[in-house]
Parts: sequence; structure tokens; C-alpha cells
Amino acid sequence: MSDAGPQTRSRDFAGAIEGAMEAEAWLMSQSGDLGLAPDTEFAINLCLEELFLNAVQHGHAKRATISISTDSDGVRVEFVDDGGPFDPISAPAKRISGPTDDIEIGGFGTGLVQKFSRRLSYRRSGGYNRLLLEFGAARDADAGPEAQHTT
Amino acid sequence: MDINVREADDGVAHVVLDGRFDIAGAQTADPIFSALASSSKALVVDLTKVSFIASLGVRTLMISAKTLIQRGADMAVCGANENVEKVLRSTGFDEIVQLYPDAASAADKLTSSLRAFESKKA
Repeated sequence: MSDAGPQTRSRDFAGAIEGAMEAEAWLMSQSGDLGLAPDTEFAINLCLEELFLNAVQHGHAKRATISISTDSDGVRVEFVDDGGPFDPISAPAKRISGPTDDIEIGGFGTGLVQKFSRRLSYRRSGGYNRLLLEFGAARDADAGPEAQHTT
Repeated sequence: MDINVREADDGVAHVVLDGRFDIAGAQTADPIFSALASSSKALVVDLTKVSFIASLGVRTLMISAKTLIQRGADMAVCGANENVEKVLRSTGFDEIVQLYPDAASAADKLTSSLRAFESKKA
């Protein structure tokens, strides 16, 4: 088990699908050291994939920076990109309702981000989108050794 | 993500996924699902060993489902873990494809769909 003290990891990625794939691999490589619980890791991974794809495909971002901080209150993730202004909090949460509906890339992303994060705040400053996401407890340990995960 | 496809004697194709259905996983899956969607009469997608999915993976499944349904064929998804199921339900995927706990119950359902498909063609 890693040290329980506050930790932060941060990295820049290219604004491209390859950058988004690198970000997913990076999260997986940091997850153990940060002591992320499986459900928290899933939620962060999901939110990062949605935000990154949105930033690249709709915002045409050239760079994105991801910072992950853990402490006793939980996990905070900051996603910063230089793409066009996009506030996922006010964006509609799309949901398919039948086989004839259009299926657009990223169309479901904002709804999933809203569903899988505990808190979400957005600001636009200096030409950057800055999204702060909060998630539940970082580690499994609090739940006791009998804790079981379905994943 | 590993993808294993097998066609059972009853004509129901099973595609068993193993790993993370992330961006890389979706890129691996897209051509396989695209081919299956245009050729299968009935497709069971087994997600028992899938530990992660996001909207890109859901999109791969949805596009296949739409193609299959438009052809009069059918799809069923089984074995999704709690988080994967939450994603599928949040996006409304379960409105167009039924979710089953295991491959046997999904295949049962599709065997009857397959009979309908064959009788439509006959």
C-alpha cells in the first residue's frame, strides 16, 4: 500500500486521439501509486476519455493538461485544454431513445461526465477551458479488508 | 482488448470481449463489429471480461446494433459489470439492445429472433 498522504500527478498531452489514448495509458500507470479504488479509477477514466474527445473533436484543442490530486477528502482531477469554449455542465445530457436516433461521437459524453463525477465546475480563463472534477474516496482501504468490488 | 468470435451451430454468433473497451479497444473492435453487423443474423456480445467502457465503446456497439436491427437481425449484450451496465443504461443503449446476465440467457432470446429472421427471408 502506498503512502496515504496527499499526492499530485500532472502531465501534458497532444490534442489528438493519440494524446487521449496516451492519457488513458498514463492514468492506468498512475492508478496504483495513487491508490485509486476500482470504481474511482473507472469514473476518472470515463470522464477523461469524454472530455479529451470533446476537446479534440469539437473544440479542436492542440494541448490538454491533466492533473490528479488525492487526499483524505477524495480525488480531484483538473482537465485544462486550449480548445474553443465548452462548458459540459450546461451542455445537454444526450441519451439515445431508439434505433433511428443519430449516434454522434461524443454525443453521450457530457451526460456520462455529469453522472460519474461527484462535483463538476467549469471556468474559461486566458483562452483555456478549465474543468475541475471531484470524485469519491481515493482508496479501498477505508472500506475494510472484506470490501469486494464487482469489477 | 482481445476479441474472440465464434458462430454456434444454431446460427447465433458470439463475440467475447476481454479487456478495456477504451479508445484503443474501440479502434480494435470497430472493423470486427462492422463486419459482424453486416453478416450476422443474431449476435451475442459478451462483456463479462470487459473492465471499462466509455462512449466510444458504446458507439461501436450502437452502430452495430442499428445495422443489425435495420437488416432484421438482432443483438443481445450480456455479462456487463456494475459500472459497464451503468454506462450502457446512462446512454440509453438498453433502449435498443436488451441486457442479459449471462451468455446462455442472451442466446436463448436470440435463437427465437433468429427463427423470425429466417421465416422473414423464406
